[in-house]
Amino acid sequence: MTRSRPDDKAVLLVHAYVDGELDPANALGIAQQMSAEPALTAECERVKALQRLIQERLPRDKAPAGLHARIEASVGGIKWPRMQPSWRALAASIALTAMVASGSTWLMVGPQQQTMVADALVSDHIRALMAAEPVDVASSNRHTVKPWFNGRIPSSPRVVDLAKQDFPLVGGRIDVVGQTPVSTLVYRHAKHLISLTAMPAKSLFDLDRSPRSVNGYNVLHWIENGVSYWAISDLAAKELENFARLFRTSQTEL
Amino acid sequence: MRLVATGAQDSLSGLDDNARFRQIVLPHIDDAYRLANWLTGNRADAEDVVQDASLRAFRAIREFAGGSPRSWLLSIVRNTAYSWLRKNRPAAVVTVEDLEAVELEQAKPGDSNGDTPEAALIAKVDADRLRRAIAALPTPFRETLVLRDIEGLDYREIADATEVPIGTVMSRLARARRRLIESIGKDR
Repeated sequence: MTRSRPDDKAVLLVHAYVDGELDPANALGIAQQMSAEPALTAECERVKALQRLIQERLPRDKAPAGLHARIEASVGGIKWPRMQPSWRALAASIALTAMVASGSTWLMVGPQQQTMVADALVSDHIRALMAAEPVDVASSNRHTVKPWFNGRIPSSPRVVDLAKQDFPLVGGRIDVVGQTPVSTLVYRHAKHLISLTAMPAKSLFDLDRSPRSVNGYNVLHWIENGVSYWAISDLAAKELENFARLFRTSQTEL
Repeated sequence: MRLVATGAQDSLSGLDDNARFRQIVLPHIDDAYRLANWLTGNRADAEDVVQDASLRAFRAIREFAGGSPRSWLLSIVRNTAYSWLRKNRPAAVVTVEDLEAVELEQAKPGDSNGDTPEAALIAKVDADRLRRAIAALPTPFRETLVLRDIEGLDYREIADATEVPIGTVMSRLARARRRLIESIGKDR
């Protein structure tokens, strides 16, 4: 068997495929090539194994305790209060968002759409947590969940099975952002639920892709293949990032 | 009436520099420190670099034009680390010629023959061996791998941060991973 050199185009595409950097046409092409060439499949498996190894075993160092304070001091000596939402504030915000969510419609205006999308989705997430069922269709089977979206929204979302990685699928529901229905998948990790919303990427909504926290809920946003993804959970930011990575690097069976 | 609960990250316009700094830079100090640690190979140096980079970020805070604050900060950290290394540890800086030598060596026919461990074997490697193997990668490969597989930046962000085309990011990443996989598979 001839070994592929690391700069062969196919090898580069395998790496980009694992990284979720390919558009659907290229992803399909390389998936087909992999099924024909065991060496490429092996490369794909190695890259995934390496990424898992790095994520799971490599300790993520934190900055030494005093560094934040020294940096704060060096840019002006102002002591800022830590942004930890108190329970009282959180409870109030749940009441507030529940109130907003029960209202009819709301408009998205001004330069804050990005924040407002996050806010809307966090509201949906909180409402789902408070509802009897966090999903409209409850199933751990992606072959049940994916078709459920057909006919309810224009395109059904990418659904991957992450049960083995300890993120079992709980089901799916329709959320509404602005006045647009969007698909939300719900995954579970330990006692935490993760709402993963997919919507068509629009430049208007997709200016800022930094992780953020809304009322204590972590929000991750990324764009892949023209789809804008929002993951919301009270999981630690690091674990939510791990979930996003697993979702992005998992192969969708074709 | 519109009621919207405000998030931690509000619109950045209209905030003073300190507030912008607090929202853009401070949340990512751990990431900055990790990258600096991988680039300098040493915790004390990493702290110096992050402090220095934070000051640079503060001075440039008005230039931040959107996008991911984290990758913006990381690219500043990266540039700061290199100027810091050039000044304080010139021997540690990889020159362009060194890199070309590495790439030539990598391009030799027969490259990566044989001993590539399979996925199951990779899964058994311990943290220490992994850390040493990453630390031993040539700098351009190491920074690309760290930005992608540890910090989770996408190719475009890495290309911007390391000032190379996306094609170069792709080939460095594939080579970095290949080298890493081969070296953690050795001397078991």
